[in-house]
Amino acid sequence: MNTPEKNWLEWAVFAVGLVLVGAALGYLVYDAATFGNAPPDIEVRLDAPAQQRQHFTVPVTVINHGDLPAEGVRVEVVLEASGAEEPERAELEIPLLPRGASREGAVAFRRDPRTAQLTARLLGYEKP
Amino acid sequence: MNIQASHSPNVAAPAVAESLQEYGRGVAGGLLFSLPLLYTMEVWQTGLNAHPVRLLVAVAGTFLLLLGYNRYAGLRRDAGMTEVVIDSVEEMGIGLMLSTLILWMTGRITFDMPATAIVGPVVIEAMIVAIGVSVGTEQLGGGSAAAAGMASDAQPGKKEEAGRQGTAHERLGGANHGRAEGESSPEVTFGGQLVITLCGAVLFAANVAPTDEVSIIATQISSWRLLGLAFFSLSLTTVILFYTDFTGARQFVRTRALPAVAVGVVIAYVVALIASALILWFFGRFDGEALMTCVAQTIVLGVAGSLGASAGRLLLQ
Repeated sequence: MNTPEKNWLEWAVFAVGLVLVGAALGYLVYDAATFGNAPPDIEVRLDAPAQQRQHFTVPVTVINHGDLPAEGVRVEVVLEASGAEEPERAELEIPLLPRGASREGAVAFRRDPRTAQLTARLLGYEKP
Repeated sequence: MNIQASHSPNVAAPAVAESLQEYGRGVAGGLLFSLPLLYTMEVWQTGLNAHPVRLLVAVAGTFLLLLGYNRYAGLRRDAGMTEVVIDSVEEMGIGLMLSTLILWMTGRITFDMPATAIVGPVVIEAMIVAIGVSVGTEQLGGGSAAAAGMASDAQPGKKEEAGRQGTAHERLGGANHGRAEGESSPEVTFGGQLVITLCGAVLFAANVAPTDEVSIIATQISSWRLLGLAFFSLSLTTVILFYTDFTGARQFVRTRALPAVAVGVVIAYVVALIASALILWFFGRFDGEALMTCVAQTIVLGVAGSLGASAGRLLLQ
C-alpha cells in the first residue's frame, strides 16, 4: 500500500476528521447498545408563580425521562382557590419532547396562584 | 497563484496554500448544497427522534456514497483507494465541523443539552454537508475553468499529475476539456456510472425528502396523477440524458438508438426510485404508513430523484 503524498495541513485535517468521525460513530454505537424502549416518561414541574400586568404566570418544566420521544405533549394545570368556586384551568402544549429533553414554558391564571392550590398533570401525547 | 508550486518537478505533496484553497472550495460547496437543509426544521427533528441504529446506517451509507463519488467522479478518477478513503474521512470530518458550527450559530444546539440532543441533529446534517463538501471540492474548482482555457491556476485538485510532470497544465487542460466534451476521456465503467447516478439522485432528493410536503402530496394525490408524475419523471430523464445536449451528456450517450435510450432511462429512473425510497425510510416517512402511501411518496420524491439522476449526474461527473 503506497502512502499518498500529503502536506501537514492535509494530514491534520484528516486526523481531526478521523477523530470526529470516530467519536460520532463511537457515541452512536454506545447509544444504540444502551438504547432502551421505554415509552415516554413525562414529568411536569411547577415553579414559583409570578405576578404580571394582567395575570399571574406559573413557570412549567416538562421533562421526558423515557427512551422514546413524544410529540404534541399537552399539560394541564388546575388552580383550586379556597373559595368554593369553579377551579381555573390552564393548558400548555409542547410540540416535540425528545428523549432526555426538558422544555420550559408557563401557564397563566387570573387568580393568584400563591394563595391557591396548584396541581399539574399530563393530558396526553402522540408518538412521532 | 500556485503555478510555481504545482509546476516544480519534484514537489511531492501539494503546497499548503493549495490545500487551503481546496478546503475552501469544499466548505463553500458543503454549505451551498446543504444550507437549505441546515435551515429545515424537519431535519433537526429527525435527528432528535431517530434511533441511533438508523443514524449509524446513515453514516455508513453516506460513507459508501462518498467513497463511490471520490472514486469515480471528476478529478480524482485516477486516485488510489487509500487516498479515496482518506478524502472521504476528511469530508465527513469537515461535514461534522460545519454542521456543528452552523447549528450552534443558529441556536439549534447548545452545549448544556444532553448529548443525544446534540449528536442526532449534528450527525444528520453533517452527512448532507459532507456530500456537498465532496461535490464542491470537485466541481467548484478546475473543471469548467479549465475548459475555458484558464487551466493554469485552477488545478489545485490535480496534485499528483501536476507534481509529476512539467507539462501537466496543458495536458490537464486538454483532459478536462475532453471530459466535458466526451472525446478523449477514459470510459467510465458501468458501475461508476451507476455510482454517480446514485450520487446525483441522493443529492437532489435529499433536499426535498425531509419536508412534510412530500407526504402531504402523496396522501392526497390521485392514482392517475401519480402515474402522470412517474411518466413525467421518465420523460424528463429521457430529454435531459439524450436530447438536450446537456453538459457532459455526450460522454456516456454514444447512441440514440431506441433500445439504448430505453435501457438508459429505465436504469436512471430505477436508481432515482431506490435513492428516494432509502432517503424517505431514513427520514422516517415510511414508519407506520400503508404500503400504498410509501409507494406514492417514493414516486412523488422520484421526480426530484430522477432530475438528480439525469441532470445532476451529468453536472457531477
